[in-house]
Amino acid sequence: MISAAVPRRLKLSRELVLLAILVALVIALSLMSPVFLTISNFLNTSRFFVEIGLVALGMTLIIITGGIDLSVGAGLGLVSVALGFTFKAGLPLPLALFLGVGVGLAGGYFNSLFITKLDLHPLVVTLGTLALYRGLALGLSRADAVSNFPGWFAYFGQFYLGAVPGQLIVFIVAVAIVWVLLARTRYGRYVYAIGNNEQAAHFSGVPVARVKTALYVGTGLLVALAAIIYTSRVSTARADSGTGLELDVISAVVLGGASIYGGSGTIAGTVLGVVIIATLRNGLTLAAVATTYQVLILGLLLIVAVFLNEFFRKTEE
Amino acid sequence: MPAGVRTLLLRPEAPALIFLVLLAIVLAFTAEGFLDPANLEDNIARVVVLGVIALGVNQVVLSGEIDISVGSMLGLCAFAVGAVGESQGGLILPLLAGIGTGVVAGSVNGALVTLGRIPSIIVTLGMLYALRGMILVITGGRWITNIPSDTRALGLQSVAGVSVPVIILVVLLVVVELISRNSTWGRNVFAVGGNRRAARFAGLSAGRTRFLAFVLVGVLTGIAAAIYVGRAGGVQTNAGQGLELQVVAAVVVGGTSISGGRGSSVAAITGAVLIGVILNGLVLLDVPAEWQSAMLGALILLAISTDALRRRLLREQPS
Amino acid sequence: MIIEEHRGEHPGVQDGAYPSASPAARDKSSSDTPGDPVIRVMGLTKRFGGVTAIDGVDFDLLPGEVHALVGENGAGKSTLMKIVHGLYAPDEGQLEVEGRQVTFVSSRDAEAAGVAMIPQELDLFPELSVAENLYVGRHRPRSWWGGLDWTAMRTEARRQFETLGIDIDVTLPARFLSTANRQIVLIARALMGDARAVIMDEPTSSLTEREVQRLFEVIKDLTERGVGVVYVSHRLDEVFTIADRISVLRDGLHIKTAPVSELDSEELVRLMVGRALSELFVRNPHQHGSIALELKGLSRSSEFTDIDLTIHRGEVVGLAGLIGAGRTELAQAVFGIRPVESGEIYIDGERVSFHSPQEAMNRGVVYVPEERQSQGLILPFPIYANITLSILQKIARAGFLNYDRERKTTDRFADALSIRGADVSEPISRLSGGNQQKAMIAKSLACEPSILLLDEPTRGVDVGAKSEIYRLIDQLGQDGKAILLISSELEEVLSMADRVVVMREGRITAEFDRDEATQERVMAAAAGVEEKAGAAEL
Repeated sequence: MISAAVPRRLKLSRELVLLAILVALVIALSLMSPVFLTISNFLNTSRFFVEIGLVALGMTLIIITGGIDLSVGAGLGLVSVALGFTFKAGLPLPLALFLGVGVGLAGGYFNSLFITKLDLHPLVVTLGTLALYRGLALGLSRADAVSNFPGWFAYFGQFYLGAVPGQLIVFIVAVAIVWVLLARTRYGRYVYAIGNNEQAAHFSGVPVARVKTALYVGTGLLVALAAIIYTSRVSTARADSGTGLELDVISAVVLGGASIYGGSGTIAGTVLGVVIIATLRNGLTLAAVATTYQVLILGLLLIVAVFLNEFFRKTEE
Repeated sequence: MPAGVRTLLLRPEAPALIFLVLLAIVLAFTAEGFLDPANLEDNIARVVVLGVIALGVNQVVLSGEIDISVGSMLGLCAFAVGAVGESQGGLILPLLAGIGTGVVAGSVNGALVTLGRIPSIIVTLGMLYALRGMILVITGGRWITNIPSDTRALGLQSVAGVSVPVIILVVLLVVVELISRNSTWGRNVFAVGGNRRAARFAGLSAGRTRFLAFVLVGVLTGIAAAIYVGRAGGVQTNAGQGLELQVVAAVVVGGTSISGGRGSSVAAITGAVLIGVILNGLVLLDVPAEWQSAMLGALILLAISTDALRRRLLREQPS
Repeated sequence: MIIEEHRGEHPGVQDGAYPSASPAARDKSSSDTPGDPVIRVMGLTKRFGGVTAIDGVDFDLLPGEVHALVGENGAGKSTLMKIVHGLYAPDEGQLEVEGRQVTFVSSRDAEAAGVAMIPQELDLFPELSVAENLYVGRHRPRSWWGGLDWTAMRTEARRQFETLGIDIDVTLPARFLSTANRQIVLIARALMGDARAVIMDEPTSSLTEREVQRLFEVIKDLTERGVGVVYVSHRLDEVFTIADRISVLRDGLHIKTAPVSELDSEELVRLMVGRALSELFVRNPHQHGSIALELKGLSRSSEFTDIDLTIHRGEVVGLAGLIGAGRTELAQAVFGIRPVESGEIYIDGERVSFHSPQEAMNRGVVYVPEERQSQGLILPFPIYANITLSILQKIARAGFLNYDRERKTTDRFADALSIRGADVSEPISRLSGGNQQKAMIAKSLACEPSILLLDEPTRGVDVGAKSEIYRLIDQLGQDGKAILLISSELEEVLSMADRVVVMREGRITAEFDRDEATQERVMAAAAGVEEKAGAAEL
């Protein structure tokens, strides 16, 4: 059992802490709402966290390399609009879906161009593309919405296999793939190497630019998947879909133990982070806490998570 | 080339200024009504709030950090101004309430970045949501509408035909630029942002310097909030939403380097005015408002790419 | 300050009389006597993680003397001086300035107490003007309205450069300065204040001969005014020219302090290295084969120009020059890190051009960088992951990692290079500097290279590791590898290389065969005197 860089012991302890938090959260919330602790509620919750979770997988790898992608929420909106409005304009829906995936990939690639070719900080680049993608979505849709999709489109976001939502299966498959990629392949090793010391990685022959490009394009693909599932789930394509998604995603990844400075993080941690955030949101909703409080709590949670992370890291050293 | 012209062209805001002039010339020919004095002033008046905040964020960026919490911070400050104005009236008390709120929020940002050692992007991203959440929690979603006109003085009045907001913007530009060029703190901002290691070697306190930059953002956002309330006449819960993008755009488009250490207050204002002229041009050319955000994004990307290319071309030129 | 009155009358230390080192011998009033040290350090110890950088070191500096501090790379010179200048806090020991015990929290405290330092890193504020660079972190003159007085600053800065005898435009942003001018600005900056003691950490590493002479005059001037100068250098000729006393550090320990008259160069080297030089270097005759690497007219603007260079199989070519001469840039360009702008590279007679390190490695070229921590190693990674990083595509099957194979590869190289200190699954940061350096070389050897570009391969390692690295270089030469050895230590280049090539300001200025190369000739070509004679050697 040897993965990449981080000593095994530390990862385990951090993930155990997260599990403990999750258990405590579940107990607290089940006391606040009787429906909370039921299997049907859990499965139901999973329908809402898959979109966050899929994007968080890509974001984890990006954050481990020391980068960030703020444009994911806007990208989701743009993909949603792209597939919805080309469908409305007469494109067959399967083709529109492929177009949506293409837009997602292109969005990620566009980000990576600025980051690798011009050596610009991902933060500023994706802040720019956040505005650009959201703006394109708004402009192309003229702030309108499309919702008359054919019945089979609902499969992507509303399908159930028994009691299990279809998107949960998609998510589990995606988790498995990304986990193997990060922990078992040389690309995973490269990701950690870049995050710990990009210059040394470059000097050691690691194809830094190619790895980064692949990560942003891959995240674009996950954003497209999330967009299709989301659009299907709510049966509507709108430009403001996914607003604020980047906050949920980054919070989940950071809560999962990835260092915002790059170099460390795991898929297991991120999955736990996603589940905690989704549980919190769902629980707070069931406990009738206004969504307004949820934004406040989430913002504070992000800051506290990063703070604790770096605090833990310092005491470990 | 005469030395004076060369110095001028080396200034960080030079490319943005040249672009602004060219754009103005193009608009003068293509967009009817662009040259109307009223329209020209409107170009600036519409970006006063943006420009005042950009002056502060510019100092943060110069010091090597970033602040993207200002959209929500403006909203919160505007509520402070509006609420105090509503209950107490007058101008000074509401203005102080706005500035006070800004200072507290800016201090939290600064403390988390410098003492908590959390990257400023994460701190201010978290604060962007936390402050917006606070607005909703405090107001319970209520809008403030009946604000007395004396509280709105900063947005409504004009002196000798020039509107007060424009005057405030010019005065603040002069003040901040003077501080930046002629105070120890102002120079330390450049030093800390330009080379953190050398700054440490020279015995500068990088923490204190950056902390004060975040506080300055709070002060200026408080003033901007008073102008905002004055112009808008009311405060909604989404006040200032998305402003952080425009502010960052103004700063980097104007020519302040996102990696710190290079730039000027004039650059931030040039960037803000450029954004105002572009938005104005879009309206005059009948481009739908939905495209504004896309234009803004494209502009940010264009500006940072130019900055990157300039750095690459200027690579190590020994004297 | 009472001591001020005596300044300038101090007889100096030529008579070899030093105040007693025992604190008991001094009472309160004796702190006013002119012979009292400006700086006195007692039992100073500093550890970084598990590594003890300096260990119980004593040191003192008298007013008006030049006290040279010598030792090999990694001996602890810079650490000691950074403590004296307030950049590091000592773990143990005491620091006194002008008889008062002090605790510096930052460099500012040290400067306020009259201790100035010229740092080794050529760090300036790139966007600020030369004049302003002198003033960062210092008290700046104010104009009548309370703002900064820029005219006064520029005037004062110009005056400062005049006393140094250097012509420089003080309004220019520092990013436009050449390496040598950066160094001069840092020297001017350190001399700006009213310093009682000036620490110079390798101040001549990028200066030309003429500028070095100028600096020496400035130092003489300072000592006549009673300022004490700590001169950190590994250039022994300079040390004997300028110093009154010499202190030797080795592996963090204080070895000896003596007046310059009591030491000669051979003895000094023995003290620094801990044994005679001849035992340190290992050199067997090598069989030179065909040309492995050939550069023709290689240029990259403002870094290096028109470089012609050949290295045969089995040949060690030494590349000497001052810091900033363009040697590292040249090696990195060959390795595909920096794009070449014109000229040609041939490997085994075949023209190549690399756009990335991977391409270079695939053709058997490896580069072992100068900066171990920032360019060479992934410090939190285990040892094995560092050593296999460059060859993962070879040992991973269909992209999947195999721990056993990684471990086997690592063991093979770790044994061959006798890397000691930790299990290969421990983070590489746990290794000592010397073992880290060997691990870095092991990583490059894992690529099975035919051409090695070694950039300062013994920087910051102890004598034992140094000797092993020399043996390794010799062995690689015997195995028929072509080796470019970039080094700022002349002894190293002269002892290890078959041929010495000298660069200055981006150009090759001289080339010597092993038996023609002497310290004097190489230094002259590197620093720019007798340029014509040097060129004639080509």
